[in-house]
Amino acid sequence: MAEAGQRRSWRTQPYGDGEKLPFPGKIAGSLCGGGESGLGMRIVWKAVASGLAGVALGLLATGLVLRGGMPGGVVDGPWQTSLTIGSAGGDALTRAQVALHGLFALNRGETIYYTARRDDGGEALTGDCRYRVSGRDPATRWWSITAYGADDFLIPDPGRHYSVSKNSVTRDAHGRFAATVSAAPAEGDWIRVAHAPFSLTLRLYNPEPGVAADPAHAALPSIEKVACG
Amino acid sequence: MTALARNWPWFLLALAVAATTHLVSIRIIPHLVMARVLDRVGPMDAVRHGRRPDENSRAVVRPSPDLLYSTCPYDLSAGPVRVTAPVPPGTYWSVSAFDADTDNFFVENDRQAADRVDFVIARHAAAARAHGLPVVVSPTNRGLILFRTLIDDEKRLGEIDRVRRQAACGRLKR
Repeated sequence: MAEAGQRRSWRTQPYGDGEKLPFPGKIAGSLCGGGESGLGMRIVWKAVASGLAGVALGLLATGLVLRGGMPGGVVDGPWQTSLTIGSAGGDALTRAQVALHGLFALNRGETIYYTARRDDGGEALTGDCRYRVSGRDPATRWWSITAYGADDFLIPDPGRHYSVSKNSVTRDAHGRFAATVSAAPAEGDWIRVAHAPFSLTLRLYNPEPGVAADPAHAALPSIEKVACG
Repeated sequence: MTALARNWPWFLLALAVAATTHLVSIRIIPHLVMARVLDRVGPMDAVRHGRRPDENSRAVVRPSPDLLYSTCPYDLSAGPVRVTAPVPPGTYWSVSAFDADTDNFFVENDRQAADRVDFVIARHAAAARAHGLPVVVSPTNRGLILFRTLIDDEKRLGEIDRVRRQAACGRLKR
């Protein structure tokens, strides 16, 4: 049989030991090594197993890199954004992140979306703590701060305390506002969260040109942890 | 270690497959997400006016509770689609368009549009120019037009909602 002859010819190579053969030689070496009929099957099995392991590993890596939420890169205090949200020029990863966590986002000339997953101290935001979000109006036509659960949807509240915005907040004599973010009801401007991890989105609609050009240096509200438990 | 030394070609194969799977999956995710949304948002070439977002709004992630969203999923394979809408006065409003890969290729807001918009969305500029309307060229046959209307004052909700519901889209008549 031609096939058998070919197998034997591999055996006549100077590499007597299959372990030392380079990749193709190794396969051939194991094909003929011992001459067992199950060896071809073993190779098929190994190829299938390697392929499946590769697919699983690849999907796991995709899941891990996309778990983080909206793309970052530009950091302003606890807030993060990306210059390429809402633009076809974004890299594949940014576009996948936006598709999953911020679908139908507009480009940054129209709207800048900042996300905060941590407070000013770098601790992850959780409904087990109470936070004070305070500052002055960002330089934009309209802004809002909205809380979202880990599933990227609004957190249930019959009173619709989902967000605070330019139109809704109360300012002091110096033009400063301070809203409470907590699971328990609070006086004044209040965003309700659940006893679970959450994130905040700061939207700036029609931002001033200076903010759109340099979103890392916009004067944005601070997120201060007040108390936990 | 001996297992690794003996099976290194298979580890290499697994790594190569992993890298390819990772890159391909990242690339096709926007397309898959958009296909799912287009299947869920209602009939093609017609505007659907979403109710004000709350915790039960789960068609699209991270909706703003301060905006009213209206959507028109379109399919240009049978010809261009015409989009008309009055601009609600005194508040932020925009019309934007997203292609089948979720890329935002067009946006116009209330400041740019004056009192109303009337344009044609088509695959090729020439296809609709004969109608004398502005043409927005979509990179893909399927996509979505999204109208955003800001509720800047709760007292004006009724008025703003009435105006935004006049937005329409439909197959361009020859």
